[in-house]
Amino acid sequence: MAEKQSTNGKDYDPMGAFREMRDNYLDAWAKSMVETVNTDAYAKATGMLLDTYLSASSPFREAVEKSMLQTLQQLSMPSRADFVSLAERITHIELKLDDLDAGLDRIEKLLAKPIAARTATPAPARRSKRKGAK
Amino acid sequence: MEPAAAVINELAVLPEKMSEFAHAVKTRSAIAQTPKECIWTLNKAKLWRYIPVVPAEKRHPVPLIMVFALMNRPYILDLRPGHSFVEFMLQNGYDLYLLDWGEPGPEDKGLKFDDYVLDYMPRAIRKMKQVSGSEEFSMLGWCIGAILATAYSALRPDDGLRNLALLTAPLDYGDKQGITFARWVDEKFFDVDKVLAAFGNMPGELIDYGARALKPVDNYVLNYLKLWDNIENPQVVEAWKAMNTWVTDNIPLAGGAFRQLIVDLYRHNRLIRNEWLLRGELVHLGRIRANLLTVIAEGDHITPPCQSRTLMEKVSSRDKELFSIPGGHIGIMAGSAAHRNTWPHIEGWLKARSK
Repeated sequence: MAEKQSTNGKDYDPMGAFREMRDNYLDAWAKSMVETVNTDAYAKATGMLLDTYLSASSPFREAVEKSMLQTLQQLSMPSRADFVSLAERITHIELKLDDLDAGLDRIEKLLAKPIAARTATPAPARRSKRKGAK
Repeated sequence: MEPAAAVINELAVLPEKMSEFAHAVKTRSAIAQTPKECIWTLNKAKLWRYIPVVPAEKRHPVPLIMVFALMNRPYILDLRPGHSFVEFMLQNGYDLYLLDWGEPGPEDKGLKFDDYVLDYMPRAIRKMKQVSGSEEFSMLGWCIGAILATAYSALRPDDGLRNLALLTAPLDYGDKQGITFARWVDEKFFDVDKVLAAFGNMPGELIDYGARALKPVDNYVLNYLKLWDNIENPQVVEAWKAMNTWVTDNIPLAGGAFRQLIVDLYRHNRLIRNEWLLRGELVHLGRIRANLLTVIAEGDHITPPCQSRTLMEKVSSRDKELFSIPGGHIGIMAGSAAHRNTWPHIEGWLKARSK
């Protein structure tokens, strides 16, 4: 808006006045709506609307679910519940694999520590001791 | 030019403007373009590592993991080339990771904050430590991601977390008059169990409606007018399209987590009162010792500033900063001024603490 209003050296903007009026109106509307939605009355109205929808759709949803389940059973097809159970089991396997990975990671670190200590410049006394041991 | 001729000109370009407007609204932008590799997965969650653009010797030794909200796509952090927080942090030498929660399916309706904080996060962080080779790390949580990051920091304070940055963190639900969502989900008006019995997970469309309805005129009218008024400006159109792509890409919130959000947090404010139990473990904010940066958006209507401030006096961190910035919930990180204000501040704060 600001860009359009800075008309110095630019073409006349025939819609400028209309836009200004429009923006003033919309700003006022926006502010009043923010106040409206932050009221108990609005919360109650939307809550009732949602509740009505859920209550009204519930019998249909249940009927569709029941008939779908029966159809799938007759066709020997897995139901949503079967897939959900399978997905849960896969996630458990993933968790176990991750635990195994963490365990291997710990072992790798433990093994890497003595190797790193050996490859680092060793103290002369220890080196001679090892040689002696061999 | 004469007024009449100007009006005729304006009307002459109207069909073209309408066609461009419709095209902008319908098409999706190329978003999340920064190269990354997936280094860990669990169920729908993925841990991404962004390919560094700075040589290893010039990188900060402490990696940064970003945890975003559960019910939005995390690519808002990497919105579009040239305007991406991810790109900015990579260029500033961070080893950067993103925990992407993915889209929960019907099988995930039982997932709770307990699972996200105690099963998913520790595992993702372990993998990040393994890949980065660093035992210490920084964590950035945004919105619901900030709840997860806060809970994790309190439950696992000895896990190597050095720096904790929270953006627009909804942690305190005490001011019922100031938080519109809190009013809507009051038990007098909203039956959470009935909703979840019908849907399993909280549908993305309903969450989106809730977020937009907080500022209905801004979101349903002014947003489109902004596009219409700037339809001849390709930069504005591109930015608008990228944001619209993100805003309209909604995902559901796992039923268990949604119920906790409403009952434990919005209604009983258990987190800030140090009464929140996750799998029997108490989330005591006093156990947070990491350096703390809390970023507040002064014009945030989703997470009003009152929800984030209280944390500062609850933690044990010695090094803590509250950074308040003009802007909205998303605008402070993805708006046109983010690269001048918010990003450099977060980067500067982390840089001084990532040596």
